[in-house]
Amino acid sequence: MTDAPVTLREKLRGNDRLLAETGHYAGIRDLRLREKDALKYETLHTKLRALCVAGREMARRISASPGVREVGESVVALYTPEGDAVALSNGIMVHVHTASRFIKWMIENGYEDDPGINPGDIFANNDAFIGTVQAPDVIDVVPIFYEGELIGWAGAVCHELECGGITPGGDVALAQERYGEGLFVCAEKVGLNDALRRDYLIRCERNLRMPIYWILDEKAKVAACQDVRESVLALIEETGAEYYRRAIREFIEEGRRAQLARMRQLTVPGRYRGNTFYGHVTRGKPGLQPLGPPDLLYGMPMELTVKGDGKMLLDFEGTQGWGWHSMNCTPAGMDGGMFVTLTQHMNYEGLVNDGAWLATELILPRGTWTNPDNEKCATATSWALLLPAYGCFQRLLSRAFFARGFREEVFVGQVNSPMIEMGGESQYGGRFGMAHFECAAAGSGAMAIRDGLDTAYVGWNPESDMGNMEIWEQSMPMLYLGRAITPDSGGGGKYRGGCGFTSTWLVHNTRELTLITSEHSARVFDNAGMCGGYPAPTVQWHTAVRGADIGGRAKKGLPLPHSLGTDPLRTLPETLLAGGTVEKCEGPFITAPFKDGDVFCHSYNGGGGYGDPLEREPQAAAKDVENGYATEEFCRAVCGIVLKKESRARAAREADEKKTKELRGEMREVRRKKARPVKEWVREERERLLRGDVAPEVRRMINESIRFSAKFADEFRGFWNLPDDFVFAGDGDDNNSGERPGQ
Amino acid sequence: MGIDAGGTMTDTILVDADGGFTIGKAATTPRDESLGFLESAEDAAAEWGLRAEEMYPHLRVALYSGTGMLNTLLARAGKRLGLIVTRGMEDAVLMGRGLQAWADYSYSDRLHAVTHNHPPPLVPRGRVFGVTERVDQFGAEVIPVYEKEAELAAVELLNENVDAICVCTLFSHVNPAHELQIAAAAENAARERGADVAVYCSHKIRPVVREQSRLNSVLIEAYACAGGRRQLLGIEKAVRARGFKHQVHTVLSYGGLASVRHPRLHETMVSGPIGGILGAQHIGEALGEESLIVSDMGGTSFDMGVITRGQVRMENEPLLGRFKLNAPTIAMDYIGAGAGMVVKVDPLTKKASLGPESAGADPGPVCFDRGGEMPTVCDCDLILGRLNPDYFLGGKVKLNTRKAEEALRRDVADVIGADLHFAAEGMTAMLEAEANSALRRILSSQGVHPSEFVLLSYGGSGPLHLSGYARGIGFKDIITFPFAAAFSAFGCTTADYMRRHSRSVHLDISSAADDDELLRIAGEIDSHWHGLEKLAREEMTNDGHDPAAVSAEPFLMMRYRGQLEDVEVPSPVRAAKTADDARAIIAEFERIYDEINRKVSRYGDAGYSVMELGVIARAEKVKPRLVRRALESPLPKKEADKGKRKVFFDGCWRETQLWEMNELLPGNRIIGPAVVEHSATTLIVAPGDDVCVDEWTLFHYRYGGAKEKE
Repeated sequence: MTDAPVTLREKLRGNDRLLAETGHYAGIRDLRLREKDALKYETLHTKLRALCVAGREMARRISASPGVREVGESVVALYTPEGDAVALSNGIMVHVHTASRFIKWMIENGYEDDPGINPGDIFANNDAFIGTVQAPDVIDVVPIFYEGELIGWAGAVCHELECGGITPGGDVALAQERYGEGLFVCAEKVGLNDALRRDYLIRCERNLRMPIYWILDEKAKVAACQDVRESVLALIEETGAEYYRRAIREFIEEGRRAQLARMRQLTVPGRYRGNTFYGHVTRGKPGLQPLGPPDLLYGMPMELTVKGDGKMLLDFEGTQGWGWHSMNCTPAGMDGGMFVTLTQHMNYEGLVNDGAWLATELILPRGTWTNPDNEKCATATSWALLLPAYGCFQRLLSRAFFARGFREEVFVGQVNSPMIEMGGESQYGGRFGMAHFECAAAGSGAMAIRDGLDTAYVGWNPESDMGNMEIWEQSMPMLYLGRAITPDSGGGGKYRGGCGFTSTWLVHNTRELTLITSEHSARVFDNAGMCGGYPAPTVQWHTAVRGADIGGRAKKGLPLPHSLGTDPLRTLPETLLAGGTVEKCEGPFITAPFKDGDVFCHSYNGGGGYGDPLEREPQAAAKDVENGYATEEFCRAVCGIVLKKESRARAAREADEKKTKELRGEMREVRRKKARPVKEWVREERERLLRGDVAPEVRRMINESIRFSAKFADEFRGFWNLPDDFVFAGDGDDNNSGERPGQ
Repeated sequence: MGIDAGGTMTDTILVDADGGFTIGKAATTPRDESLGFLESAEDAAAEWGLRAEEMYPHLRVALYSGTGMLNTLLARAGKRLGLIVTRGMEDAVLMGRGLQAWADYSYSDRLHAVTHNHPPPLVPRGRVFGVTERVDQFGAEVIPVYEKEAELAAVELLNENVDAICVCTLFSHVNPAHELQIAAAAENAARERGADVAVYCSHKIRPVVREQSRLNSVLIEAYACAGGRRQLLGIEKAVRARGFKHQVHTVLSYGGLASVRHPRLHETMVSGPIGGILGAQHIGEALGEESLIVSDMGGTSFDMGVITRGQVRMENEPLLGRFKLNAPTIAMDYIGAGAGMVVKVDPLTKKASLGPESAGADPGPVCFDRGGEMPTVCDCDLILGRLNPDYFLGGKVKLNTRKAEEALRRDVADVIGADLHFAAEGMTAMLEAEANSALRRILSSQGVHPSEFVLLSYGGSGPLHLSGYARGIGFKDIITFPFAAAFSAFGCTTADYMRRHSRSVHLDISSAADDDELLRIAGEIDSHWHGLEKLAREEMTNDGHDPAAVSAEPFLMMRYRGQLEDVEVPSPVRAAKTADDARAIIAEFERIYDEINRKVSRYGDAGYSVMELGVIARAEKVKPRLVRRALESPLPKKEADKGKRKVFFDGCWRETQLWEMNELLPGNRIIGPAVVEHSATTLIVAPGDDVCVDEWTLFHYRYGGAKEKE
């Protein structure tokens, strides 16, 4: 008798043991097949990737959700029997390892025995603690059997626009526990004999506001998986099962080595540290349960270590605990954020698989928002914290690229792009619910050689787009009064950050429309600049006007608002629609439903800048003003550039070189005057800390980091020369009646 | 006569009544395209011993497709435009679709975000004006046009000395009243000023949903096509002066021909590669084949197109010069894979790969000896003995084998530690494997078994790599041609006169629709079809076609309710009059949907939506005829025998028979290993395979065919 592993669980554990013992995936030290016939081996890899891409195209055709069809929110992949990703399509690279966790979870939890894993079965999951990022990311997998042996899995993910949570959409900002997030499918067998179960579809139909999105996406994913399965089986007929079994494992080991080699090529080994923040403001907003403090500040200190062999570690030690809000993230989501970032910077050749995951390591302290120790908590808007965190990661990587001389790869990176979700009575008379995905086209951070990308980038999907207004209007009872570049929304710099845009809508043809927004930092910057560049502004407040009487004004030919305008203190809708009731809202917008004739404005973010704004090319600022990316006031106050009206053409501007030089001289002088010795400044700030003279959210944030991490506590107290037992007194923990994270 | 004016060369194919053909070439002359046109045509006529003035009076069809307008667009050398849009969407020219910043990039650059960049706009933001107005998706006016704003905008634009003013408002394809009102204001202002300024409305150019695509269409038409039209009319004038009696025509990207007076010339701007599909339809008709795949391998790309059971797949949202359009275009898929691809090995990972760079025509592969330093697949072909160093382009280019060997050894063979010839063969195999995967991917989305398809192989390098790129797929038949290098130009000459008119609608049909609902839907569909057919027939009649000779075929774009991608459904009924007609349409949709996607994805419970209705009007034209000849003996005649040469196949050198393609006759059979040479292409027949020349002088490639007895 042999002692070869028999069950999947034994195989999985055997693989893990071999990796631990040898440092190589599945104990593969030599890439035997590759060495014997490199071209045959490469050809198989090319074919496996191609069939994942073909599967994704099929899914795109079938899907009902604009997220999948218009914005490309899907990915298809092939896995080993133990659930390691061998090859992936393009698309949301977030899911390189999430479906992998889901498959491994089923194996570890004895699914082979109950409910059984058989040919023709379909399994689905959207539980982030099992393996996905957030509830809208629904994963389907089908097992691939060859002559009775489970030889792999095909998997597909789509991002759903409606999940049936406490409010419409999928990024449910009001969810404070998982019970508000909507329909959960927890590693469930949803289909048999290649067909989705009717009772499962009925459950979807009865529990979702817009079941067509979810159901057609399920069909799309299953069709794609079956397509991949059939193509893989045909390939195994060609190569033989033994070759295939070995080759897929060599691909993963090779992927691991390639990731290490890329890091060695592009970066200088060492430690790179950074920090970013996120302000969450919900005090007094309707619908919130008093489970925890309504206003929160998250700090995300991060340390990237690049080792000599190219291994990369990203450490979140020092961040705070999970909370009763929707922004928590599971390790699966943290993987996702890292992978979508890495594919944009070094794994864009399409060779990424789970080997790359093995060459990287995330350190996620238990109990923090990155790795909650309470599975009741919500993760519906985990991107709110993921995006700032991985934007910071991009800046750390960029420093490593810069250090190596790859200046053109430097990218100040991603920002949050707030999502708006809605539901209620549609323009067709029925009920509806939807996440509006035009947020998939914010501004990017700047590069070290040019300005950031305007209205065409988000971190979670580099194939970014906002779609057509006419298509969105078919899915919601609102009309665009405008979709316009938000001036000054890119951070200043020698190269400015990309600008975001603002949509201004007229609520139309409905008696009841609920609008909810999420994922925007209030009061603090959730992004930063680099090398002297400024961060992009936090997102605009929301402006809504009820009873705006657009119809009456239009009849009289009076001016209407089409954007927020350029006055930072008073928006155009406030000025022009003075007869209506104005609502201004900071942070997530949660309020009473709207109806026909109301006006609502929503802005998406810009990115941070690169380099000192006083070094910006003056003529570039003139172009910015001509095109509405910046105001003259911004150019003058931030960049020290004076413009003059150029007479030849109506809108043309020209830089006044002489006055610019003078102004910049003055601004440098002001800087010099403001400057003082660091010691002096540290002393003053230390006094403030000892007095506790900081916002309650800051006190709570620091105290929590101290409680979670001795290392953080030592560094913090050491840097500011504080007593060994320093904590802030009375950390403003009002309203926190529920279970306390991290205790 | 079919003429294809490329960026550098203008190619002509002249076809006679018996299907005989000749090819001519001349340099393209961008300032006055008629000069290159005339010279290229003369070159082709000279092959037949004709002078131009002898040819033109007898010419039945002159067909011109060129890249002039595309180049105007790409070089941003078009008209000075002004734009008036719905107030609030003025920034659309800058914001575009976000996807325009990356959509025509390679797989890797689509992910590599720092490479993304918007295409420069065709009209600067300073010459874009908004006019307050709104129409909703149902066509209802929500905010009336602020007429004063329209007048002011027009005056400002005239002050800026614009050549043309474009107008694009939201949902103008549903209700054009506001666009027309704004256009009238602009025209009035121009008239008062005595300015010669054309005004373009988006709904007239393309009345289909998606404002950004409609905006791009109207801008491109105004920006690039006005100059293009002048060129086309100049060509017509020049050939008519030389005795040509008819109108000159050009090729629409959806596969028909239209006169050079066509009101939407931007529809001709992506017409280049579609000639292959048109040619395939023609060949398919002659052979009685309904399902064909075309594959065009050139220097840099491998283009594929599909005809499934007589249906040509359309792409409704193509990119043109990085701008997203909603002009229907024959769908062609392509991957970066051609003989000009650079072969290399990553020094870090030791992974061998192809491209994405291509050596292009200048400096070209190393063996061209014009300064190219990076080895290409073409160099590998030469090293393996598959290309004849003295007969490339009929001997016009001498190939340097030694240089090719040095480069491949240095950059590939030595790096991976392989023998030079093994490395060369491996790299050509990799190119063929990539093309092979691409073909399989295309096939898998057709829902039809490969054994139903005939593969056509053409392009400069198609026949050279055919022995590998279609192997193992199981096609019904594989065909290549003596005129493989000019097949696209040939294909254009086989098209009919055609107009495709369509408009966006939104008709929902519930899954439980009763007779009354179906009857109502049928009525709506029919009234749209009626209007569209009238429009199409008028345009065809204006083009000089006999109204009686114009046929019209209705079609629908349909989906399950809630879906976002349409399936094009050629109507199974000529008119929709009854509930049963509506049922027949739904059944046809279900049938086509099932063919394209898997069974699990059907969802009739959701109901159906009709999103677009259209009519295709056609009039036939004279076409080149494929000529059938008597079959000769399997053994080629003596004149075809070019001797022998050593060629590297499957890891060893083999003595290989060489043949001259032009001397092969119907009935001949070539047994591999063999090389069939032509001045413009080379056909490789691998050991074990054979090629049979049929009665139409088409070459049929058979994998493993050599084993069959004669």
